[in-house]
Amino acid sequence: MNYTFDFQSVSLAPLFDGLLVTVQLTVAANIIGIVLGFPLALLLMSRLAPVRLPAMLFVEFFRCTPAIVQIVWFFYCVPMLFNVFLGSMTMGVMALGLNLMAFNAEVYRAAIQAVPREQLDAGIALGLNPLQRVLYIVLPDALRASVPVLLTNGIVIFQQSALVAIVAVQDLMYQAKTLSTETYRPIETFTIAALIYFAVSFPVTQIVGHLERRRQAITS
Amino acid sequence: MSLDFSVLDRFQAALALGLWTTIKLTFICVVLGCSLGFLVGLARASSNVLLRAVSSVYVEFFRGTPVLIQLFWIFFCLPLILGVELSNLASGVIALTLYMGAITSETFRASLKSVGREQFDACVALGLPKRVQITSVVLPQAVLRAVPTLLSNCVSLFKESALVSAVGMADLMFVGQNISNNTARPVEVLTIVALIYFAIAFPLTRAVTLVERRILKKLAI
Repeated sequence: MNYTFDFQSVSLAPLFDGLLVTVQLTVAANIIGIVLGFPLALLLMSRLAPVRLPAMLFVEFFRCTPAIVQIVWFFYCVPMLFNVFLGSMTMGVMALGLNLMAFNAEVYRAAIQAVPREQLDAGIALGLNPLQRVLYIVLPDALRASVPVLLTNGIVIFQQSALVAIVAVQDLMYQAKTLSTETYRPIETFTIAALIYFAVSFPVTQIVGHLERRRQAITS
Repeated sequence: MSLDFSVLDRFQAALALGLWTTIKLTFICVVLGCSLGFLVGLARASSNVLLRAVSSVYVEFFRGTPVLIQLFWIFFCLPLILGVELSNLASGVIALTLYMGAITSETFRASLKSVGREQFDACVALGLPKRVQITSVVLPQAVLRAVPTLLSNCVSLFKESALVSAVGMADLMFVGQNISNNTARPVEVLTIVALIYFAIAFPLTRAVTLVERRILKKLAI
């Protein structure tokens, strides 16, 4: 190979501007996903089919279609269908947030259903009413169990957020694309951008691993 | 606004061709990626420090960066570095295989780990040679346990394959976007594209659950 690297010609400032947008998108989407995912999980477990089925359809739809299709659909179709015109940042947050909401709802559901039956029986034996059983037995356990997976999903959304570059939100990926065409230095630009993504997500995955190991040590 | 799905009648062949590209790409990368993932999974469990370090860096890097940037890197940078032209299909296959290799290696690693310590002890007690230990005791259980997760990895790959549209490969998503731009009917076209993806991925995820249940029953755990 006879390629000479030139990392000097790639200015970092636009990339960090992009990273800021990426982080904002990620944080906002995570707030939506973590907060609204929970009530959605409750709907998923409802005994009433008319409540459960639409929730299941919503979740399965987000889980079974590519994120890029969802984002492009959102950006093109929501303004046309509902005649609303929102800023691209708001649209990006909503598309990513709804996606994360579906994935997190499944996490909460699995965690709630994983609370052992005998704990509930113990609650009944102690004379706790159904609300108390949910508040003091199911929730603390289920929420603690879902933390590592919620964090993992949060990081997945951080990575998926790169997709909004396709619909021209000026995130890290978008800035990298622009910079690489301006400088004719795709290798350097994309490598730096990839390293920035990596530098953010790697520590979080390590923390998740640590949390999971600690939890296993406690439960076993 | 009024919806008119009949605009799609003319484009059935184009969509089918795009879907075929998506399926072909997914299939090739599932086969190559699972093989790569298996080898990398073994490498990460090996006692050789160098092998372990290299495989860990590879896996962490591919899991820690967006697939989109991996694709861009391989489409635009790899040809420059290698000094050869790569076809669209070749670049797509390389990118998605590397991605699939990284995620399946984690699956294989987890399933290898899940084979209990006592099984190794039993092998030692029975005086089984190392080769028999691996081929007859560890691998069959590990691979069986890996199957459900591998299947969901395949579904993930199928979905991620839509990203190749961003680098101009004519898969289902790319064809869909083209049609939607040409007909100015994004709602109808993109909805149909999403439904096609759904129609394939949804049964697969259901199958994962079924397979999982059967395997758990078989392993009696």
